[in-house]
Amino acid sequence: MTTVTAVQAWRDGVRRVARAPAIVIGVWLITTLVSVPLALAIRVELMNHLGASMAAATAAQGVNYEWMQEFADQATGLGVTFRPTIIGFAAVLDNLSAFMDAVSRPVVVIGAAATYLVLWLFLAGGIIDRYARDRATGAHGFFSASGGFFFRFVRLAVVMAVVYGSLFGFLHPWMFDQLYPRLIRNVNVERTAFMIRASLYVGFGLLLAAANVIFDYAKVRAVVEDRRSALGAVAAALHFVRRNADAAIGVYALNVVLFGFTLAVYAVLAPRAGGTGWMMWVGFAIGQMYVLLRLCVKLIFWASETSLFQSRLAHAGYIAAPAPAWPDSPTAEALRPNPTPNP
Amino acid sequence: MRLRHFAMTALLSLTAAASRAEVTGTINPPLSPRNASYIIDARLDPANRTITGSEVILWRNITTKPANELQFHLYWNAWRDDRSTWLREATLGSRRVVPTVRPDERARIDVTVLGVRGNARADLTTVMRFIAPDDGNADDRTVLAARLPQPVAPGASITIELSWTAHVPRTFARTGVIGNYFFVAQWFPKLGVLQDTGWNCHQFHNGTEFFSDYGSYDVRMTVPTGWILGATGVERERHDNDNRTTTHRYHQDDVHDFVWTTSPDYVERRERFEHPTLPPVDMRLLIQPEHARQAARHFEATRAALKYYGEWYGAYPYGHITIIDPAYRSGAGGMEYPTLFTAGTRLFAPEHVEDPEDVTVHEAGHQFWYGIVGNNEFEDAWMDEGFNTFSEARVMGTWGAPTYFSQRYFGGFVPYVFKDIVLDRETDWNRFAGYRRAAKNDVQSTPSFRYYAASSGVPTYNKTALWLNTMERWLGWPTLQRIMSTHFSRWKFKHPKPQDFFDIANEVSGRDLSGYFDQVYRSSNAFDYGIQDLRSDKDGDKYRTLVVVRRYGEATFPVDVRVTFTEGKQVTEHWDGKDRWHLYTYNWPQRAVTAQTDPDHVLLLDVNLTNNSKALTPLDGFGPKAATKWSLKWMVWLQDCLLTWSVFV
Repeated sequence: MTTVTAVQAWRDGVRRVARAPAIVIGVWLITTLVSVPLALAIRVELMNHLGASMAAATAAQGVNYEWMQEFADQATGLGVTFRPTIIGFAAVLDNLSAFMDAVSRPVVVIGAAATYLVLWLFLAGGIIDRYARDRATGAHGFFSASGGFFFRFVRLAVVMAVVYGSLFGFLHPWMFDQLYPRLIRNVNVERTAFMIRASLYVGFGLLLAAANVIFDYAKVRAVVEDRRSALGAVAAALHFVRRNADAAIGVYALNVVLFGFTLAVYAVLAPRAGGTGWMMWVGFAIGQMYVLLRLCVKLIFWASETSLFQSRLAHAGYIAAPAPAWPDSPTAEALRPNPTPNP
Repeated sequence: MRLRHFAMTALLSLTAAASRAEVTGTINPPLSPRNASYIIDARLDPANRTITGSEVILWRNITTKPANELQFHLYWNAWRDDRSTWLREATLGSRRVVPTVRPDERARIDVTVLGVRGNARADLTTVMRFIAPDDGNADDRTVLAARLPQPVAPGASITIELSWTAHVPRTFARTGVIGNYFFVAQWFPKLGVLQDTGWNCHQFHNGTEFFSDYGSYDVRMTVPTGWILGATGVERERHDNDNRTTTHRYHQDDVHDFVWTTSPDYVERRERFEHPTLPPVDMRLLIQPEHARQAARHFEATRAALKYYGEWYGAYPYGHITIIDPAYRSGAGGMEYPTLFTAGTRLFAPEHVEDPEDVTVHEAGHQFWYGIVGNNEFEDAWMDEGFNTFSEARVMGTWGAPTYFSQRYFGGFVPYVFKDIVLDRETDWNRFAGYRRAAKNDVQSTPSFRYYAASSGVPTYNKTALWLNTMERWLGWPTLQRIMSTHFSRWKFKHPKPQDFFDIANEVSGRDLSGYFDQVYRSSNAFDYGIQDLRSDKDGDKYRTLVVVRRYGEATFPVDVRVTFTEGKQVTEHWDGKDRWHLYTYNWPQRAVTAQTDPDHVLLLDVNLTNNSKALTPLDGFGPKAATKWSLKWMVWLQDCLLTWSVFV
């Protein structure tokens, strides 16, 4: 058997995502549905604050920075996030920076994010199953797989929570609140301090990526090999990554590059404040295109990792592409009360 | 014609000669009383971070009362231990410096010898004592007092001798050392100011700055050879010693403080400020190597300050100025000293954002408000900081290209420029947002050192800039410019009090502005005018329009009320703003469209601008449109936030 390279696996991952547009649209819908209620809530807050004030005219036509500050100063909860940093590419910088600096967000946003993560957790089994099969499984098959893997992924999420919790709860504060101040204590050159901080970002990012790779392959192995044990899946993922380190890291790196490229494109195209009318909707559409691309990138991570795993550890008993024969996944089969016999 | 030509040539020659004249730090005739002059000899030991110094003070009693004792500031004792008033007050503010400093990094200054020489020769070392005139804190050692054996009569002089040792702190409040960067400010035993009411010698407080008399300073500083040194004044001599040290001697007349800095890392640049009607100024910039490419920006901002302040208030008289770009994390950024100031910039400093230009203009501007007009910063800090913030805002609003709002990400290193948001003078440069958040925290007439430490800057900087700018919009710039230039010319090289400025404002404007100063200076009341109600209903063949304008805040100010009707018809009412509310009614064929209080935004202290106007029907649906537009943008931000966190699944 020819060994599939990282590049080939990545390209195959891109292809698998492209062949399943419904998943992209589905996750975009979910991302949007989680966001819309909060966006509507903040719209009401903005409307109430503006009332019939003529300040609305300048706020509509461009940026009324004074009003924006006045609103933020009196806001509580969600409203405190309404700052210039929501404009264009600043939004991306703001979120990435807050993520890397572990800046907390208002409870409402954390609540929305928690809901969003649970939804992803539910969908993850179906998505990976779909990419593993590399053929249409239908809504029933997709959600059956999602449901079937959900509780395994919940158990896996406990492990992930422990690891990510340790990274952000213990390591991050140690690195950035204790180590970093110590390292720059006597530094009086900003370039040096910047390099130290950048190095810490890289170090922390690598650890985060390592955990991310392991958990991604744990999910892939749980689905493809129909593993029930979360810890077993993590151990198997570790084993796989260790034995296929070059390819696993290569695929991940290619995805990181793709992520960076997506951000770079948005940095160029991101709409500025603009006015109302059709330009407002064009700006919003560009924003949604960016969100779609970001979702594609996330899905390509999973699809390419699935492809790599399948190419390296093909086994008759596994879900392996191409195998366009019924039944769907073993889970789906198990869930169905009267499975249809193979044609 | 020939005579005229000759006169012109002579004038140009004189101007050129003046511009070539060597700047020595000596000024004749004296511009100030020079009643507290210092000759100091200081030796820096960088390894042990100590300064050993001796000084001779030539002091003249310029009050009408005899002086029975001497009082000195020993500022560095504020960081000697946690029991000082400065560090106790720091816990009320936001300066989290205390826990990060090791005991051996604290500062101290110990006077080892204090004496008076001449006819009244006496050793006062044994009678020295610490006093705490402001709060009675027995552990505070920032004011040293010593009773004189014989009173110094009004007009009489004495010569005071001191020796001291000091430990240079890790930077506290813009002073100290980090790495091999030394910034040595407020560093020597310094006399308070004797007034007819007694010594004005406050303890060092967390939220305030300084006050001292004018004099001549002649200072020798010995530092490692090869280190670059910048200081108040002009270098007169420099000689290398045998022990790999170099002694620099600086001199300056008519200043009230002396500061110096040294580091082997400074990059030195020089340029010159020239102006058709103002005297030339040699500009010396000591900049960090990583900022060397920003040198031109520092010079241009300094030029702008010298030009506009010079044109508006009066000429800068010293002929030279030193700009210091402080080292990263030195905490020395943005501070004024006579003939020298610290600016402050960053490694990544995009063009057309606030810094380094804004901080440079501000600190250069302090040469006028603080350096030349020497008010008491302990008690009336707003008189220099506020005047200067107003002036800085005016320069930033007048000079150069638009400045954009920017924000830093990733630990504060990576800037992003918001090209949609141009900072404007009235709100942004006058620091309106900060004022709104703490408008009522302190009455401005409270002595500055008693302001609530965490928000002491608001009444000092923000509020003054806003009320001065309000005066400008109310009375007109020509009037305010005459008020401020008159204040400048009358009080340069003196110590004005608030009432001195108010008297000049009344005199020059020809109006009694006391009521206004009562509002802004003697009260912490907030201004807030708004349109409470606007109706315009059909009444026969006309519309009956009702406008209710309300004073929501406690402070009062006359405001205009402008009602706009269909067909572009407008009416502007003048309301004295004293009642809680006022009703305007109109029976006109036109229907009202909008109503505004203070439509020309004269009152810049109004803390709620959104309620200043009302449209009968939300103006072309702008309210909903604006809300939709911004909620859509916010939604993309939220989606991105969710996606960023989705890495966890």
